[in-house]
Amino acid sequence: MRLRFGRSQGAGRALLVGLMALLAAVAACGNGSSGQSQNVKLVWWHNASEDPGKTFWAQVAKDFHTAHPNITVEVVPIQNEQFTTKIPVALQSSSPPDVFQQWGGGQLGDQVQAGRVEDITSDVKPWIGQIGSAASNWQVNGKQYGVPYSLGLVGFWYNKDLFAKASISTPPATWDELLADVGKLKAAGIAPIALGGKDRWPDAFYWDYLAVRLCSKQTLQQAAVDYKFTDSCWTQAGVKVKQLLDASPFQNGFLATPAQQGAGSSAGLMGNGKAAMELQGHWNPGVMNGLTPDQKGLGDKLGWFPFPSVSGGSGVDGAMLGGGDGYSCSYKAPKAACVEFLKYITSVDVQKKWAALNVGLPVTKGAEGGVADPNLRNLIDIRGKASFVQLYLDIAFSTSVGQALDDAIANQFAGSATPDQVVKTIADAAKNR
Amino acid sequence: MSQAIGYGTAPQASSAARRALGRALIYAVALILAAIVIVPLLYVILGGFRTTGQIAAQPVGLPNPWNLGNYTEIAGSGSFWLLVANSMVIALVATALVVATGALAAFPLARFEFRGREALYTLFTLGLLFPVGVAVLPLYLLLRNLNLLDNAVGVALPEAAFGLPVTVVILRPFMRAIPAELEDAAVIDGCSRLAFFLRILVPLSLPALTTVAILAFVGSWNAFLLPLLVLDSPDHWTLPLGVSNYSSQYTQDTARILAFTALSMVPALAFFVLAERRIVGGLSGGVKG
Amino acid sequence: MRLVGSPDRRQALAGAGSASDRAAGSTAARRRLRGRVEIGLFVAPALLLYLLFVILPIFMAGYYSLYHWSGLGDVTDFIGLGNYVRAFQDDVFQGAVMHNFTIAALSLLIQLPLGLGVALLLNRRLPGRAGLRLVFFAPYVLSEVITAVVWQLLLQPDGLVDATLRAAHLGGLVHLWLADLKLVLYTLFVVITWKYLGFGIILFLAGLQGIPRELMEAASIDGATELRAIRHVTLPLLGPTIRIWAFLSIIGSLQLFDIVWIMTLGGPAGASTTMVTYLIDRGFRRYAFGYGSAVAVILFAISLVFAIAYQRYVLRRDTEGALTRMVG
Repeated sequence: MRLRFGRSQGAGRALLVGLMALLAAVAACGNGSSGQSQNVKLVWWHNASEDPGKTFWAQVAKDFHTAHPNITVEVVPIQNEQFTTKIPVALQSSSPPDVFQQWGGGQLGDQVQAGRVEDITSDVKPWIGQIGSAASNWQVNGKQYGVPYSLGLVGFWYNKDLFAKASISTPPATWDELLADVGKLKAAGIAPIALGGKDRWPDAFYWDYLAVRLCSKQTLQQAAVDYKFTDSCWTQAGVKVKQLLDASPFQNGFLATPAQQGAGSSAGLMGNGKAAMELQGHWNPGVMNGLTPDQKGLGDKLGWFPFPSVSGGSGVDGAMLGGGDGYSCSYKAPKAACVEFLKYITSVDVQKKWAALNVGLPVTKGAEGGVADPNLRNLIDIRGKASFVQLYLDIAFSTSVGQALDDAIANQFAGSATPDQVVKTIADAAKNR
Repeated sequence: MSQAIGYGTAPQASSAARRALGRALIYAVALILAAIVIVPLLYVILGGFRTTGQIAAQPVGLPNPWNLGNYTEIAGSGSFWLLVANSMVIALVATALVVATGALAAFPLARFEFRGREALYTLFTLGLLFPVGVAVLPLYLLLRNLNLLDNAVGVALPEAAFGLPVTVVILRPFMRAIPAELEDAAVIDGCSRLAFFLRILVPLSLPALTTVAILAFVGSWNAFLLPLLVLDSPDHWTLPLGVSNYSSQYTQDTARILAFTALSMVPALAFFVLAERRIVGGLSGGVKG
Repeated sequence: MRLVGSPDRRQALAGAGSASDRAAGSTAARRRLRGRVEIGLFVAPALLLYLLFVILPIFMAGYYSLYHWSGLGDVTDFIGLGNYVRAFQDDVFQGAVMHNFTIAALSLLIQLPLGLGVALLLNRRLPGRAGLRLVFFAPYVLSEVITAVVWQLLLQPDGLVDATLRAAHLGGLVHLWLADLKLVLYTLFVVITWKYLGFGIILFLAGLQGIPRELMEAASIDGATELRAIRHVTLPLLGPTIRIWAFLSIIGSLQLFDIVWIMTLGGPAGASTTMVTYLIDRGFRRYAFGYGSAVAVILFAISLVFAIAYQRYVLRRDTEGALTRMVG
């Protein structure tokens, strides 16, 4: 439609201008709800402070901006251990990051309860289906508060060469076999297991897995709801941990070894062939590779085996411990732009490219093909077939309880807590949460 | 010189020798201590001139060959100087604030008599008793409500406030020591209190003012906890935050971390070399006064 | 003796003659008021800054400490002294308090003799004295962050410290400096001493320079040996300096945070926790602002009690103890 602004239509022109001004004002007041028509900036906090993740996400931000010129993404990578201090502080401020790393579970629950996270259920409905059941870990009371881009499993990464050197032909399938293998490795002068004791959460993997093996599925799920730890299986988990600790399987000075920082970290030790195994998440190969001089790590010398079975437990056979990474929109974020960005991150293309980095397992259906590393391909299959995946307990539980759990287990690893005391500390923290 | 009375008449020669030996021993101990103090610093500075490979192969050793890459890379990157600039701005603002307000407040506390003077002084000294850490939780919320988060001013204002106790404690005895006759003369000449303060007291108190300025500047420059919690975006970070983040971000590149840390030490050390006499003079004045 | 600046003296000097005294009744009152207003204006900027950013947060901490509050959301769950009871019963907190006291005690036991010794040495005319002074004081100017980052590198297994020990044929002394629960606190103490020894040395030097040479000469004329002279003349005269240093040292030990946070985060297993690392961890990382505030108030109370007691019993001879006058 062509408009003619002849002199005689001065009034009409004024009216039109006035209307446009009014529209613009309304649009401006809409807090980005009309997103597409004005410039929006998203501040994005993620924890990939090292390559390859760092460069990758920076490129994602750029590509997204090319596709959506009115949305600029400011990328802020923050080292993982500092993240846990900075994000609670940031969420309390009136200018938190718009998009931030989210691990789901009780932690998300705390943030939702305080009204710090945007409810994006309706906004993601059109496309959340392509992510599948993984998305449920980022829900609270059935509403979606975040979107995952990676869901993985915790298991034992091992150095095939070092196993061979200690005359171990196949990885251990039972708990007793694991203990025996630890002995064989020690006899061969090899540090059996690398552990990032300084950061505490790697310790918790052991206790968590033993709880998954010994406690019934119902006990586990109920605990995240009523926070009662009266079942004896919880104490039993600590007893089994003690069995492992008594075998002295970890590297020298493990209590002060970080998990991911530097060549002296547990991942660095694994990557540089100084330890035979590490119980870690699916991200470990990527981390390990980055800590070696040639950035290639162990290559095909790296293998994976699931946490061994434990006799006498009520746990589900073949159950796994796992968790993932995702992103949430904070309560101050421009919702439409944020959701658009999440949609982009979890799109098949981006997920495929991310999978090629071999730092994790994509969730979007159709992106599995992007995973090249045979170990990770194996993990995707296992993940698909797993009977039950329990979210790491320090995330599944509310933050204060989860942190107390990490502390209590770390105390046991340091020799200053008994299995009973571990459970008691957790229960006390639950009472006071 | 009179004879020794009552005490030993031991031969002078051997006791002098013993004394010299004792002194040499103590000197040796002091040198060892000095070495312990300086070696870590040398390690950092020299380590920056090596590569991480060199360090991994031989933890203790001189650079061979000398590698300027780390230092030039970091000094050439804008991000390092941004950290320095941020630290500088905050430190200057905080220092100016605390010296100005502290001097103004110390003046009546030192030279006037009024009801509640000692109570006011005590109120200020209370601040010596707790670190920022104690107040940091509510302080954070307060800054949030004032919308001063992620803001240089949000760091400078509390730093100035927490620097007031030390400032007042050091300035008060100095200002008190200025002779009453000077003030009498000023009054006779018809000077107001403010004029006396500005034209006479401040110039005479310059040594003390310099000392408190230095203490405030160094305190702000080195502050960690408050900037850590208040400054979110890396663009606003101060140097300590940068060092801490750098060391955890580039952990596999030890040589680079050493170079970064060494460069971060330069401003503080340079400042110290220039200002050392003032610091010592100020502290000794505070001790004697 | 009246201090200069009191209203009456100013008046007298300004030449208020007897003739105008009666008429000056109301003028005097006005002048007194103006004097007070003037004082108020001088003090106001500092007071405002101080009240807003120092005193107010303390009261707020007291307020939050009475609530069970995560730090997010509204402050509604009043629990009275519940947080305080919980803190006193928590063995990690008890450990933290013990660690602070241990560091304070070690400072007095070790840094004092060490600092004094070096100061006494540096007080003579020795070659390189100025340089040595510079060396000892340098760490004080560095930030605690830099100190922590540097020492963390040095204390790694097979790092510089271990390598030096081995080179000096002291390989048996190599330990897991930061991983051994029993050692970590003492390792941190060594790092703290490295940083703050210079401060003590400078203070003691300043105090020593205030001792007149004649006294030392008189002592040696009386035949006293060097050591006796130090014990009976120098140290007593150095008393005020030592007492102030001790006060600052103890307060500093109670407030320890930066170095511990960066080197060990209070670990391993809480073996190096201090009160401030504890309250930051619980308050911020564990979403327990109310509880963290209670710990902050406890720390403040401990410091206050110590300061009052110290002023009354130790410093009373040396300074006009402002606190003492208020309380005593």
